[in-house]
Amino acid sequence: MAAKNRNPVAANPDTPGATGGLSASAPGSAKGAPYLEADGVGFAYTPGAPVLQGLTMALARGRLACVLGPNGSGKTTLLRILVGLLVPSEGRVRLAGTPLEAYPRGALARRVAYVPQETLAAVGFTALETVLMGRSPHTGALGFESSGDWHAAREALRRTDTERFARRNLEELSGGERQRVIIARALAQEPDVILLDEPTSFLDIKHQHGIYGLLRRLVAEEGKTVVAVSHDLSLAAAYADRLVLVSEGRVAAAGTPHEVIRPEVLSPVYETPVEVRTDEATGRPYVLPRPAG
Amino acid sequence: MKRTALLVLAGALAGGLAGGCWESAPPEGAAESEPLRILSLTPSVTEILFALALGDNIVGRSNYCNFPPQAGKIPAVGDTIHLNLERIVSLEPTVAFVVTKRADVVKTLEGLGIRTVALESDTMAELMQTIETIGRETGRTGPAGTLKGDIQNHLDKVRRRVEDLGRPKVLFAFPMAVGSSNMMVAGRGTFVDELLNVAGAENAFPDTADWPTITPQRVIQLAPDVVIVNAIGKDAARDRVDAIRRAWENWTSVPAVANGRVYILRDEFLTIPGPSVGLAADRLSRVIHRPGPGETDFVQERDRP
Amino acid sequence: MNIRPLTPRRYVLALAGWVLLWLIVSAVAVVLGAENIWAWDSWEKARDVLTLRLYGVLTAGAVGAALALAGLAFQALLRNPLAEPYILGVSGGAGLGVILSSLYLTVMAAPVFGFVGALLTVAVVYAVAQRRGRLEPYTLLLTGVIMNAFYGAAIMLVTALVSPERRGEIAYWMMGTISTFDPRWWLVAVVGGLVLAAAVLFAFLAKGFNLVAVGEDTAGALGVPVDRLRLVTFVVASLVTGASVALAGPIGFVGLICPHLLRMALGPDHRRLVPAVVCFGASLLVVADLVTRLLEGIGGVAPPVGVLTAMAGGPFFIYLLRTRWRRKIEIR
Repeated sequence: MAAKNRNPVAANPDTPGATGGLSASAPGSAKGAPYLEADGVGFAYTPGAPVLQGLTMALARGRLACVLGPNGSGKTTLLRILVGLLVPSEGRVRLAGTPLEAYPRGALARRVAYVPQETLAAVGFTALETVLMGRSPHTGALGFESSGDWHAAREALRRTDTERFARRNLEELSGGERQRVIIARALAQEPDVILLDEPTSFLDIKHQHGIYGLLRRLVAEEGKTVVAVSHDLSLAAAYADRLVLVSEGRVAAAGTPHEVIRPEVLSPVYETPVEVRTDEATGRPYVLPRPAG
Repeated sequence: MKRTALLVLAGALAGGLAGGCWESAPPEGAAESEPLRILSLTPSVTEILFALALGDNIVGRSNYCNFPPQAGKIPAVGDTIHLNLERIVSLEPTVAFVVTKRADVVKTLEGLGIRTVALESDTMAELMQTIETIGRETGRTGPAGTLKGDIQNHLDKVRRRVEDLGRPKVLFAFPMAVGSSNMMVAGRGTFVDELLNVAGAENAFPDTADWPTITPQRVIQLAPDVVIVNAIGKDAARDRVDAIRRAWENWTSVPAVANGRVYILRDEFLTIPGPSVGLAADRLSRVIHRPGPGETDFVQERDRP
Repeated sequence: MNIRPLTPRRYVLALAGWVLLWLIVSAVAVVLGAENIWAWDSWEKARDVLTLRLYGVLTAGAVGAALALAGLAFQALLRNPLAEPYILGVSGGAGLGVILSSLYLTVMAAPVFGFVGALLTVAVVYAVAQRRGRLEPYTLLLTGVIMNAFYGAAIMLVTALVSPERRGEIAYWMMGTISTFDPRWWLVAVVGGLVLAAAVLFAFLAKGFNLVAVGEDTAGALGVPVDRLRLVTFVVASLVTGASVALAGPIGFVGLICPHLLRMALGPDHRRLVPAVVCFGASLLVVADLVTRLLEGIGGVAPPVGVLTAMAGGPFFIYLLRTRWRRKIEIR
């Protein structure tokens, strides 16, 4: 096992051979240059109260990474900065080596898809119309849809098991069904990179594993790069190639699940004792929380 | 609350004054023995009073009583919508004349202990009655009679002059409001309607109505031969008059427009039922009937005795 | 709700249908009226009346389209289905400008001062409601309400200071006037042109409106420049509102009724709504004006068109409130 990286300033889960970096046993570490990276990013909603400070991380292409961390650690903010919705006050984000600001808005939208945490606006769109919105970076100025657009939308619905909701209004669906539709919308965008903010928080076990399984397939079969914020440590550990642990606006640990899912890494960050076991069937770690008291 | 207290105080004050001054119905001639302090709340009444040489007796006038020019020196006490009661009381009037149908105005003034005479002047006959009443109340029956006679003579003179000149259809209107299309016109039975009759014209508006507001389509339908627009106050400004004229020139199907017989008059006395009615009828008649051979054209601006 | 692809062909067909509706309604409104001109023997008279009616129909069309379009835009912008063009105080500013100009300066420049009033209001509201370049919906709404209160007070003050005849004029104008004795064809052309340009612009922004309605983050991540979209929409919708007030005085509820009726029929997709709302708004106000003219034939007096829209709009507003309360709406 490689030495654990405790340096909060530079945590690069993918640089081959970096000090304190990942072991060469991490699959795909030889893929090369980072595809999506944050370099010393800092951000504050109100001046003087930074949510992120000096956050650095890098991800190679074709990986599934999960961002973990306690409540309020800045995970959602980080995601929004990676999408380009927020401009960091320090540092910058690069996609394929180019800073985000250099991308024209439309081009960026065709490459990066974002699945936000809550989407509850009761506007009256059906599931199908919602998924079709994912095609808008590809449709023209007036927004006309081609048959290709419709095909992509239906395919996205199929892959998220939401085809039967196609003509139902979004607000009629349950939280979980809605979440899957939103993920379908991101799929319809046909992006390179998908960023998801707690995509399975409302889903039952079947659908949790269904979605993560889908994300895994997108990475393995289509070479997409996926970053998902998760609060479920075991679920993340079961599926992700890489984990990034964020604490108080900085990266506390980054690496493979084996490197990050450890009691000595997790307990100080979550401020609660944890126990880690290994799942014999998959070889991946999982977390057992110790009941309080 | 404050108003009631004020009225009570004013009433007490006036009651005290009045108690020392008058009896309920002063007999004719008795008014001459005591000072006459008149409150006039209507422009036409003010004009009549001046015509009866009572100008010096007017102690208070409404805001709109601007003629004759000497009237401007008299203190103003508001109008029938909003009276300055304190001021009225301080002026100590003995009698008030007002042309109104509103009983509450009369009641208010009488509540202050002021003898109030409510007059009406919607028709020529009522105007004559008003002059007579004022004459009687102020002990000037003689001059009142003379005034009535003068007016009557003037009107008859106009009637005679236009006897054989035909009766064109005339529409008398106030200009439409800015941005609106509808305009107020004189209906049949109004004071102005009577003036038109004296001036030898038939009112183009056929219905008996006070001052109806009508649409341009209706105007086109009525097809008047002559149109008189009375532009007073702010409407009398140069650019406004030009705008009114330009607006009318759009509608050439109206005979008055086609024949160039739309007149925009800026005289303010045309609609005031007072001593100038003879002059008003004269002016209208000269506008409606083009000057015959040997007659001079009508007077451009107002010209009062 | 339409769940069929929006192809160019369907779009053009729908647009053609809406335009046809407006043309038919306008033609009918020109031909009908309180005066039975077909019984007249004089062609000149009929021609003049038809000219007056045509002017009224074109004015009503331009103003109705402007207000409906602005209403749709404000509702998308503020993500509040109860937003109306007047809620932002723009019409109040335009109205005050026109009134002040007519009374104290020259009457002819009134439309110009209407524009000025609208633009000044836009500038003030924007300055107050923007924070680091973003227009915040709640602050926008509140600022608008305050501006309206201010303008209401200012107009009342002016009304108290002027002579009684003027008071009547102001009161009458404030109820909205479509027909006029002095046609200002140039102003109708200007307003019509502005509306057309705004409609084309909003047709291109319609995609963005859909996305913003779902959520700001969603829209931003899908490539919509949210802040710029808000600013442009706000300014253009305000301009168009100000222009229509300068032409016909303040007319309410059209900006509320039209988008909602169309949403109930066509769904929330702004790509379909924009062309529809322009033509439907125009048609609606043309019909309202026709009704006022017909009422004149019955009652002898034509009510101002603003009275009609308010009397229809008030109950409709209440109905909207009652149905909306049953559905939870979150403004994100």
